[in-house]
Amino acid sequence: MSASASAAVRGRYHPRGLALAFALASALLLAFIVLPLAQLYASQSEASLAHVAAMAEVRSAILLSLAAALATTACAGLLGVPLAYLLARTKFPGKPVVEAIVDLPLAVPHTVVGIALLFVFGRTGIVGAPLEAWTGLKFWGTAAGVIIAMLYVSVPYAVNAARIGLESVDERLEKVGRTLGAGRWAVFLRVTLPLGARGILTGLALTFARSISEFGAVIVLTYYPMTAPVKIYDLFLQSGLGDSSAMAALFLAITLSLFIASRYLFRERREPGSASAR
Amino acid sequence: MTAHRVTVEGLSLRVGAFALREVAFTVAANEILVILGASGAGKTLLLETIAGFNRPDRGRISIDGEDVTAAPPEARRIGFMFQDYALFPHLTVAQNVAFGRRFAPPGTDAEPVGALLERLGVEHLAARKPGRLSGGEKQRVALARALAAAPRLFLFDEPLAALDARTRDSLRRELREFLRRAAVPAVYVTHDQAEALALADTIAVMREGSFAQVGSPSAIFNTPVDAAVASFVGVETVIEGRIVQVSDGVACIAVDGVLLHAAGATPPMDTRVLACIRPEDVALARQPQRDSSVRNQFAARVVATEAAGPLFKIVLDCGFPLVAYVSKQSYLELGLANGGEVVASVKATAVHLIAR
Repeated sequence: MSASASAAVRGRYHPRGLALAFALASALLLAFIVLPLAQLYASQSEASLAHVAAMAEVRSAILLSLAAALATTACAGLLGVPLAYLLARTKFPGKPVVEAIVDLPLAVPHTVVGIALLFVFGRTGIVGAPLEAWTGLKFWGTAAGVIIAMLYVSVPYAVNAARIGLESVDERLEKVGRTLGAGRWAVFLRVTLPLGARGILTGLALTFARSISEFGAVIVLTYYPMTAPVKIYDLFLQSGLGDSSAMAALFLAITLSLFIASRYLFRERREPGSASAR
Repeated sequence: MTAHRVTVEGLSLRVGAFALREVAFTVAANEILVILGASGAGKTLLLETIAGFNRPDRGRISIDGEDVTAAPPEARRIGFMFQDYALFPHLTVAQNVAFGRRFAPPGTDAEPVGALLERLGVEHLAARKPGRLSGGEKQRVALARALAAAPRLFLFDEPLAALDARTRDSLRRELREFLRRAAVPAVYVTHDQAEALALADTIAVMREGSFAQVGSPSAIFNTPVDAAVASFVGVETVIEGRIVQVSDGVACIAVDGVLLHAAGATPPMDTRVLACIRPEDVALARQPQRDSSVRNQFAARVVATEAAGPLFKIVLDCGFPLVAYVSKQSYLELGLANGGEVVASVKATAVHLIAR
């Protein structure tokens, strides 16, 4: 009792000190994130937005970005969910190595990703060359190249978020499913997948966001056809900040609204009935 | 409905440092085998092995004579009840039950979903998600879901352990009623002696991966095979009997030719019951107390005495086995010795009945 009393006398007690300091730091950080984007919009006139929106190249670049990011997200889901499931549900030797490999794209500079991908998917690459010979599919200067570049840099988000989602599914529910006569596939599709869906969808939303914003890996692999970030860079080189910032604002409006919509759709919902469950 | 029967023989499985060893039992339809054991005894591992989630190293599991030892869980038709019943949270009650029906093998005799919901009295919950159901509602939905898959065996892994005592009592009764009528054998795992007494036709005491003793509830509680089983199940006297008379809230129970009186909640006439008497509720005297209000007085012979902490534990034979605790002072005053004659008295309110 005397110890706490003397402590209170020695250091004056500010119950709100920590909260205030942290709130200030947080406000600074949030302003740092939001201010540049807000300023980008504030500096645009309706006329300049309308001008770039009318340019066919701008429109096709934005469409290519959206389509390629969507295709990438689908690939990431199809290939990433099985890996996420294995990481969530099984133990195997070398698992830490597999986990490190999944995170590897996060550590590689994106221009390096583009160059490395050229060695595999380029015209003389070990996959690119035979694939072009057999099927005519090219990864250099095509939409397929854009997808490959986007997939490489965004797949960690899909796998890691899906893994967390699948780990959250109670294994007893899967066991009950088996005893009720459902095989492994049926249990995965009817129990595990729907219950882990929120994590998986969150991961896919991140994958989409990461894909559509990718520049470095894409530009090395595929300058033409241009994705929106590449076109913005191209406009910047040709005519400075004017048109490029207008297109940037336009593109950002589209991606941000998709981002916000997905946050809203996959938000943690309190189901009626589950609030007091545990 | 066919009456099912499950036989487990010589089941052994090593998992790391732990091993199931030579587990064997048979359970017939309408029978409940309770596996009683402390946590870590291997109860859950045993259930999951029977359900097919682990492949035993040795031994055989057969259902209705069919060897299912190598069959995957989905081919065994076993209704598995986890703690809190593990209903699918993303499906409604009706969809939960339909899940079982969907995968039931064709030609099985399970009822349709609607009939099952009605039979278990949960049809009004059909469109609800399981989240906010009460413990009792969850139990009924889980049973309906299991029945929809036409089970040949029920396995219960401490389904009531997370509930409060009163809910547990009533759900246990309901479950017992249900299992009496279902033509499906049941294996029920618990660490709770009261649960075992309330449900079991046969109790298997499990310890370190094998069965230490298998027998009727009274055999397990009154004649434990060794000190470890005795200390685990406790020293309560458990006697099987039948209600032969009920008047003024007092039941008269026939036990091996002796009559025992019990007050309090009394089951109806002719019910088979387990009468439970705690050793501290048994008083010993040299002579019968003529003017006493104590209803149960038995002439008894001392079978064994042993010091038990500050008290003495006296094992008596009064037509049925009875255990009493007495203080050191009474022990000396009564001159208790093996073969000695005493009068044991037990108040009617101290006799606790469990209907069977």
